[in-house]
Amino acid sequence: MRFDLIDHAMAVTGAIIRVLVYSILTLPAILVVMSSFTNGETMSFPPTGFSLRWYRAAFENDLFMTALWTSTYLAVLVAIIALAIGFSAAFAINRFSFRGKAFLQGLAFSPLIVPAVVLGIGLLQLFAWLDLTQTIYPLLLGHLVLAIPYVVRTILASLTLHDQQLEQAAMNLRATPLRVIRRITLPLILPGLLSAAIFAFVTSFGNVTVSAFLTYGGRVTLPVQIFAYLDTSSDPLVAAVSSLMIVVTMVVILAIERLIGTERLA
Amino acid sequence: MLAPMIILLTGFLVVPVLGLLRSSFLSGNHLLEGSGFSLEQYFHFFSDSYYTSVLVETFFDGLVVSLICVVIGFPTGYSLARLPPLARRWRMIIVIMPLTLSLVVVVFGWLIILGRNGLLNSLFVSLGIFASPKILLFSRPAVLIVLVQQFLPFMILSVMSVVTQIDPVLEQAAANLRANRFATFRKVIIPLAVPGILVGFNLVFVLSVSAFITPRLIGGSRVAMLGSLIYERIMAELNWPSGAAMAFVLFVSGLGFTAALNALAASRFIVRGRRHAL
Repeated sequence: MRFDLIDHAMAVTGAIIRVLVYSILTLPAILVVMSSFTNGETMSFPPTGFSLRWYRAAFENDLFMTALWTSTYLAVLVAIIALAIGFSAAFAINRFSFRGKAFLQGLAFSPLIVPAVVLGIGLLQLFAWLDLTQTIYPLLLGHLVLAIPYVVRTILASLTLHDQQLEQAAMNLRATPLRVIRRITLPLILPGLLSAAIFAFVTSFGNVTVSAFLTYGGRVTLPVQIFAYLDTSSDPLVAAVSSLMIVVTMVVILAIERLIGTERLA
Repeated sequence: MLAPMIILLTGFLVVPVLGLLRSSFLSGNHLLEGSGFSLEQYFHFFSDSYYTSVLVETFFDGLVVSLICVVIGFPTGYSLARLPPLARRWRMIIVIMPLTLSLVVVVFGWLIILGRNGLLNSLFVSLGIFASPKILLFSRPAVLIVLVQQFLPFMILSVMSVVTQIDPVLEQAAANLRANRFATFRKVIIPLAVPGILVGFNLVFVLSVSAFITPRLIGGSRVAMLGSLIYERIMAELNWPSGAAMAFVLFVSGLGFTAALNALAASRFIVRGRRHAL
């Protein structure tokens, strides 16, 4: 490639933009964690001193701890159920040909195009009409809908990539279809399945845009509790709670990275 | 095997959306009582210049956010696609983190950056650029910057996935034909990457125009976006028919807008792509 002024300018601009992008993407999370260790009474940056007092305060705060428990419980349920529903759907889409397959694939990804406000209000109205707003069902079903696209996509990718000859070999050895799925297919795509479950977990655990509408009945998820708190005030207590969420998220990302590599997330 | 998914998505995605559509045709300003069919809510929305100006402004904001995401997300996504796996690893983690992290936590991080006693104010005051801390929050530019940061990963990832499918041989061929990087970029890479850019653009646009957490916390009462108006209408005023109608205006006009944009881009770039191929 010959040297050119334009080439040079492009390389330099590109490098500057990339540095800017990576720093702007990491900055908010880093600042939250740094502020959570402050010794001061109010939110200010740079933080004053070092202490764990706001973590102690967070663990003693009933509102936040109840919300953390609700979020965790809900996210685990969502992960298990979304995995079951998503696996059976992805398996059918991947292995069988039938009419309306493209339509069903479209349906599986449709939650991505419906704005969260629309889904949130719609669900609130539906469950108000069913008189079930006091239960966990609005949040559970809402989060399941949100998790389906990610789960189906991850499992579809695993099913497409693995070697189907192993299944054929097992069937030649007269294994029953159910046994083939249980002994060959599932162990082979296990990393994909685990990643899908983890995806469903974080989708539920972090969601606020749909959950914000589904908080009737005393059950509030942690992000919604943080939202409500920030709406009126902000003190380092939120920084400590948010740091806990950052830790959970980082653990989850590293787990997915180990299982299937981050490449496949795109 | 597909039945559970179909039941879930029909019962708790399609039905709620249709139910909302039904409520938007009710008259009055109360809860879900009442019957009949009227266009009162829509008429009210479009005849009030306040609402129409918020709608226009929200769409304009969505466009600005999406365009900034294209301009800074494209070089990042492109370089990610061309990096060796090891170098890509940590960068991917950085890109994916804001997506998996809860939106409120990201917004809170920005409150620390832009707040009265925040990072920027302390920095500028100690450097002597500001005499005293300024109010950086509660402005439209602040909201736009935060929206860009939140949704940029979607753009980076969709550009990355399309660029990985472009054979680097094409770029080498262009270089052999003495095209400089800019010419290669404009005539080879961009036309081939258009589908990825469009996917990212649509995602960022739809997410930005329906945002309500960020406008509320970063913009406060001074920055009105359609999403936050809907949230207030429903959660504070409990005015369902009106909120439902506004949500539908947002949903349908957002879909229409992205569809029109895609059609435009398709006609323009596919024709041009063919001409280059000949």
